[in-house]
Amino acid sequence: MKTLKYFFLLMIFTVAFTVVLPVSCNKEIDITEDLKPLAPAATDNDAGTWDMIVLTSPAQIAVAAPGDINAAAYQAELTAIKDAQSKLTASQRETIEFWSGGGVLRWNQMFRKLVARYNLPPAPKADNTYPAPDAENPFADPNFPFANPPYASRAYSYVSVAQYEALKAAWHYKYLYNRQSPYKNDNAIKLLMPETGLPSYPSEDAVLSGAAADMLKSLFPAAVQEITLYAAAQRNAALWSGRASSSDISAGLALGKAVAAQLIARAGNDGMRNAVGTKAQWDQLAQQCIDKGEIPWISRDNPKRPPMLPFFGQVTAWNMTAQDIVNERPEAPPLTNSAEMKKEVDEVKWYSQNLTRERLAIVHKWADGAGTYTPPGHWNDIAAEYIAEAKFSEVRAARAYALINMALHDAAVGCWETKFFYFNPRPSQMDPSIKTGTGVPNFPAFTSGHSTFSGAAATVLSYLFPQHSEYFHAEAKEASDSRLFGGIHYRSDIEMGLAHGKVIGSYTVNYASTDGAD
Amino acid sequence: MRRFVLFLCLGISSAGFAQTINDGIMMPKKTICTGVMYTHDRWTEYWEGELKRENGNIGDLTTQSIMWVGTYGLTDKINIIAMLPYVKTEASQGTLSGLEGIQDLSLAVKYNFFKQSAGPGTLKTFGVLGFSTPLTDYTPDFYPLSLGSATQNISWRLTTNYTFGMGIYINASAAYTWRSNTELDRPSYFTKGQLYNTNEVEMPNVFDYVVSVGYRKGPLQADLNYTQQNTLGGGDIRRQDMPFVSNRMNFSKAGAYVLYYVPGTHGLAVRGGYSLTVDGRNVGKSSTLTGGLLYTINFSKNP
Repeated sequence: MKTLKYFFLLMIFTVAFTVVLPVSCNKEIDITEDLKPLAPAATDNDAGTWDMIVLTSPAQIAVAAPGDINAAAYQAELTAIKDAQSKLTASQRETIEFWSGGGVLRWNQMFRKLVARYNLPPAPKADNTYPAPDAENPFADPNFPFANPPYASRAYSYVSVAQYEALKAAWHYKYLYNRQSPYKNDNAIKLLMPETGLPSYPSEDAVLSGAAADMLKSLFPAAVQEITLYAAAQRNAALWSGRASSSDISAGLALGKAVAAQLIARAGNDGMRNAVGTKAQWDQLAQQCIDKGEIPWISRDNPKRPPMLPFFGQVTAWNMTAQDIVNERPEAPPLTNSAEMKKEVDEVKWYSQNLTRERLAIVHKWADGAGTYTPPGHWNDIAAEYIAEAKFSEVRAARAYALINMALHDAAVGCWETKFFYFNPRPSQMDPSIKTGTGVPNFPAFTSGHSTFSGAAATVLSYLFPQHSEYFHAEAKEASDSRLFGGIHYRSDIEMGLAHGKVIGSYTVNYASTDGAD
Repeated sequence: MRRFVLFLCLGISSAGFAQTINDGIMMPKKTICTGVMYTHDRWTEYWEGELKRENGNIGDLTTQSIMWVGTYGLTDKINIIAMLPYVKTEASQGTLSGLEGIQDLSLAVKYNFFKQSAGPGTLKTFGVLGFSTPLTDYTPDFYPLSLGSATQNISWRLTTNYTFGMGIYINASAAYTWRSNTELDRPSYFTKGQLYNTNEVEMPNVFDYVVSVGYRKGPLQADLNYTQQNTLGGGDIRRQDMPFVSNRMNFSKAGAYVLYYVPGTHGLAVRGGYSLTVDGRNVGKSSTLTGGLLYTINFSKNP
């Protein structure tokens, strides 16, 4: 009897333990950055006069005048909002709250997610060759695209510029027509998002949703459903919150989509289609190196993988001409057979053999390799906090991201032009005993992409938020150093890359200082 | 130890070794059994999600460990168990650096709360409460080369053993392991189709069971065993992606185990084991060899 009593006690304890413990120790985590409802510090009502980057003028795409607010059609729209507000569900309120964090910031989270999802290299086939992602069949294995760092930097820049152009055009029409938000035209409509002080026609939320969604669908065609739902949710939030009526929204959506079409046309003609190249061209890159008496880069992947976008250096930059790209190319790295090179290899080897926990943490903090949002995504992530804190209006937030991402794209172009001009081997090719703290990227060493991206981003962020300049540059230096610590890069790669990135970033800062928004 | 899969790297701790966590044997009061076990685990194929493949950038993944183990009989019915492994990982191909270091300290209390003659043999039932914690700040973010998941675990195990008079036994043991979240060195990661903008990773809990049929008489103990471990959540490794700490790591292993008390040594035992992963998800198809020496001292006889 006594043993039986013990047995039951223990069983009760077991059940209690297995049930209570997981509940009492809640493991749930927030998956996105929390964004406080955005109440812009300024309306930026002159944004319609700021310089246009791709469009010829803010009025290039016509937006018809809105209907009279006293007309039956508009009154019916107001009635529809009141009706919707009278029966808002908890999930609809969540949608409103989510999007009140700011459309530009929310879309930036979406870009980073899509890049992380599609940033996976093709798996090798049984015959040791690699299949190419196919834009016409994006759902196949491998998925299209392979959103590697150059692809990602270009994608971030196109979506950011599309949003920025569309919002400047929207601001132009907002102040041209000056139609007020539904809640101002009808006291029975409540405003469920923070006050922005903006005229509502065309709706900035709808403009953003149209520009971002169409641009993203062209870059990530397999994610069409997710993108479409996200964009629709943003427009619903604008409507349910009393910020915009259905005609504000439809005008905004049309404008956003028309601006995206302009950017998509530019993207079709920016040289990206030639960035992969052919086997003959890849072989030629190696041969040119051999002809100079240099050791050419060889893929560290097994089986050997074709180089990542070797002709991305010829893609059109945003704030640099093709000649600027060539002019700013760093001086040659040490010759592969020189004593100086040997010294650099030895230094990498030392870091490889002395990979302390502290240095490994730095390597992993900045690795941003396959399956992540890439180094450009990391800098978008860093920027988000400062943009949110500054309470930028949507158009100014879009400007910040456009500037950062134009600079990051230009950094990718400049860095790739340099990498494939010199075609320099990785440290682990020069000395196969060098082991690395993260994966070795599949392209030449000189210069470091992380360093170039980080130098450019820190330069633009320092322009935008000068009080934090020291921090941005310290982070950039750490990102750059991480590649030497991890055994991925030589010292000359990271130092020249960081300096090159800062020069590239300064081109965008020069543009920004005269764009009318400064 | 035979089923100690912590250092399979694509596995999760389901710590257990003979005379310890999941068997039907207790150390008598005031007796300590301590020793050192060596484990060699290797895989070439692994499951990327449910797809079995090889990877030219890994080649063979080898994990070796040396583990100190100790069991003390607080009473005849209550044992305290401790384990501490030093782990070393290495990939035969590719550039990725291997890692090594002290991993997790495990402590457990094993309680034989029920024992009764039944039919031709004896039925015994055990409860085990276990806890483990990393002793070093190794990274959980470098699978398959990480030393472990860097989580604190609490497990609750029930074991039933039926031993026939002639020494043949059957044993069944099942555990539920609660794992704390773990932290990465980076501010974001992608898993389960989502981008997580945090360095904290939600770690699913783990369920495992072990069944064995064996023989124990005189100086010899030997058995054949089967282990199933399921991670109760987590995403799959994506196509051509690296494994991730919170992946749904499941496996089935078949193994054999032998323990032999060397005659005339007053308590020295040699132990060996082998196991093979027969099926899995997000883990390596491991073959694991263990061997070690254990020494038993009875303090009550030598005060």
